[in-house]
Amino acid sequence: MIRTVPPLSVLLIALAGAAWAQDEATSPDTDAAPTEEAAPEAEAPAPAPEAEAPAAEDTETADPAETEAPDEPEAAADTQEAGTEEGDPAEGSEDAAAEAEATEEETLAAAGPEPVWEVGADWPYWGGDAAATRYSPLSQITPENVATLEQVFVYETGDMPEGTAEGKYSPEVTPLKFGEDLLMCSAMNRLISIDAATGEENWRYDPGVPNEAIPYGATCRGVTLYTDPEAAEGDVCATRLVQATLDAKLIAVDAATGVPCEGFGENGMVDLWQDIGERVPGWYAVTAPPVVVRGVLVTGAQVKDGQAEDAPSGVVRGFDAVTGELAWAWDLGAPEQNRQGPPEGEVYTRGTPNMWTTAVADEELGYVYLPMGNSSVDYYGSNRSEAENEYATSLVALDATTGEEVWHFQTVRRDVWDYDLGSQATLVDWQGTPAIILPSKQGDIYILDRETGEPLTPVDELTGLPSGEIEPDYISDTQPISAWHTLRKPDLTEQDMWGFTPIDQLWCRIQFRRANYDGFYTPPSSDRPWIQYPGYNGGSDWGSVAVDVERGIIVANYNDIPNYNRLIPREEVEALPINERPAGEGSGGEAGPQAGSPYGIKVNAGWRNTGTGVPCTSPPYGGIRAIDLETGETLWDRPLGTARRNGPFGIPSYLPLTIGTPNNGGAVLTASGLVFIGAATDNLFRAIDIETGETLWSVVLPAGGQANPITYEVDGRQYVMITAMGHHFMETGVGDEVMAWALPVTE
Amino acid sequence: MTTSDSFAPHRSRPHGRNWAVMVLGWVCILFGLVIGAGGIWLLLLGGSWYYALAGIGLVATGVLLNAHSMAAVWVYLVVWLGTLAWAWWEVGADWWAQVPRLVAPTLILVLVLLCIPALLRRR
Repeated sequence: MIRTVPPLSVLLIALAGAAWAQDEATSPDTDAAPTEEAAPEAEAPAPAPEAEAPAAEDTETADPAETEAPDEPEAAADTQEAGTEEGDPAEGSEDAAAEAEATEEETLAAAGPEPVWEVGADWPYWGGDAAATRYSPLSQITPENVATLEQVFVYETGDMPEGTAEGKYSPEVTPLKFGEDLLMCSAMNRLISIDAATGEENWRYDPGVPNEAIPYGATCRGVTLYTDPEAAEGDVCATRLVQATLDAKLIAVDAATGVPCEGFGENGMVDLWQDIGERVPGWYAVTAPPVVVRGVLVTGAQVKDGQAEDAPSGVVRGFDAVTGELAWAWDLGAPEQNRQGPPEGEVYTRGTPNMWTTAVADEELGYVYLPMGNSSVDYYGSNRSEAENEYATSLVALDATTGEEVWHFQTVRRDVWDYDLGSQATLVDWQGTPAIILPSKQGDIYILDRETGEPLTPVDELTGLPSGEIEPDYISDTQPISAWHTLRKPDLTEQDMWGFTPIDQLWCRIQFRRANYDGFYTPPSSDRPWIQYPGYNGGSDWGSVAVDVERGIIVANYNDIPNYNRLIPREEVEALPINERPAGEGSGGEAGPQAGSPYGIKVNAGWRNTGTGVPCTSPPYGGIRAIDLETGETLWDRPLGTARRNGPFGIPSYLPLTIGTPNNGGAVLTASGLVFIGAATDNLFRAIDIETGETLWSVVLPAGGQANPITYEVDGRQYVMITAMGHHFMETGVGDEVMAWALPVTE
Repeated sequence: MTTSDSFAPHRSRPHGRNWAVMVLGWVCILFGLVIGAGGIWLLLLGGSWYYALAGIGLVATGVLLNAHSMAAVWVYLVVWLGTLAWAWWEVGADWWAQVPRLVAPTLILVLVLLCIPALLRRR
């Protein structure tokens, strides 16, 4: 027996050690953006394979998945079927291009459906296929051989933060793969094409976005491809790459060369500030790829959250994908009057809910589905217009040929929690009906008829909800919830409080008891803080869900984190510099002036403890789940993310223990039954068995993989890639790497 | 391990105090006061009784350690067993949730147990 008496230092170390585990939780707010809308997005660019040789492809061509093309318009199918039908997926890209051309006849009527590309060898849309399933028919990489994956290339974009951009990078980029190329944007909107097999750069185009344009974070989640059905093969800009930028421009360049498309807007550029009003850099920015439907590019924008009621409009606009001319505008405050733009001297209705995330389109129906956010003043609603109340936090279906609303489905009534719809919706055929899957930040998953907006799965109603003291006449005492499936966990109790030691856990319990908390949808308060759970990070955020249409499985990763908020009376806010974010409580804190409303807002995202920054709630902070698409039942559910990057005093523990970290970014599924996902704050990229949830392979990324991965094929070899660029809000470093892996080449 | 020479002087002074036991005693008192005061606040807010009780137990342990009484060990053993039972009752086998509940109290248990030779010597 050691009889030595323990020195104080030993005791202290021991106590500190007790807390190690919690450190991992230190980056609780995965989702992003503290500033609400601005925040949530993150993805990384794609890598290209280095090696040449096609590996033996064990892809079974017969794989049913390949013919998939879920819910793509039939019309498109005829024109482009050939390629993916059954053969080698490698041919897909060329086929796609060829098919696109083949369809010219069909598209004369500007309003008719145009061909859509299929996913396989290519990853032609941000969400994989036009339906945004994030499901690939490729199956060369299997659960059996995934452990032998080897890195084939790393490409560095060279876009790293300089000057005032330091600490603001959250690129969140997901490339497209088309033909032989990977096409992407960087954090500051540099358009880049690299060889998909080697990672060698083909071209780049820098639109020169200034640092002042960075809103919440420097983010470009992706780009959009469009082939002009009227153009001849080989014409410049016959196939064009389009992005919308942080400084609110729509830019089109030739996909093959990167040369600006002269016929598009002004020398390849359309100014989205047009008719928005006063230019305040950073207040109006685009971070999501536009979606194209029937030749119309549809884009919203991110309007900085929590600022003023007199913020830029949330107008969603459609532009001719060939000429860049305004096709229509959907201004929910004046839809008829402003459909072709506001009258001379006026601007689009200011302060209206916006769409910062990515839409999805049904080419056949000609509808585009807009996941709408909230008004700029997120946490106070009494002075919102009826139109705002009607459309905020709704999925809105527009007829993309006219810009007129077809239907809308609201997920929160009178949202004062910043529960923006952050996920791209996914199109599926559900029990015989063309449907759309809508995940929300509250974790609810709805399945709607995509023609009518009618729910196909049961929607329940919460009733008798508390209305609070701030604006009891405004707060809704009922709210819809999905009775089919929700990612949301039960309400918090005092026993869910956490910490490193009994002391910080006790302090969290005291905070819990002092706060206003009546469970889900507790209304904002000012006399005391209130607990918002789930927090605005989701649930499901911009990473969206992935759907294995063959197996009938939805794979959803999610955050499980509360926010600790307080409304700050105007007098207190006045003492603060307007438009600056005063230090909030804890490291995840933030505040917004909400100018024009009676209160400012202070948000402690992830509810991190005073001083220590340790989360006040128990792990896991994020998970991933497989859901039966037919029944809504959970097939498996597990925490996502290990404790390796966390430890006491910020020292990485390197412990491979799964804790469940905050995560941001989605998954890609393959026909062979694999789920590839980064997202978590452990900076791992991993492959999970879709049948069991077991992790089969993982690799350490140089910076956080807060981006949706993709998979594609070149010359018979399947690649998986993700961009490892980190995320400022997720505290996962910063990088510029585009990385790809494939099976070893067997000679 | 057997007694190290460095402690020999203590043996020759029947009323001598072991500084490390004293340090642990004061640490227990300090933590006990913090946890006890916070625990009473929590109680008044309608929360758990555990912290107030644990705070009292820690203060008692600390006072007894400072008196170099073996009773410190028994008192703390009761506190620790009570903590174990309470922690299991609250969150069961959720090991991440057990970290704040059990790790630090168990470290203190180890330190208190390490004091036994010194406490016995004093008699």
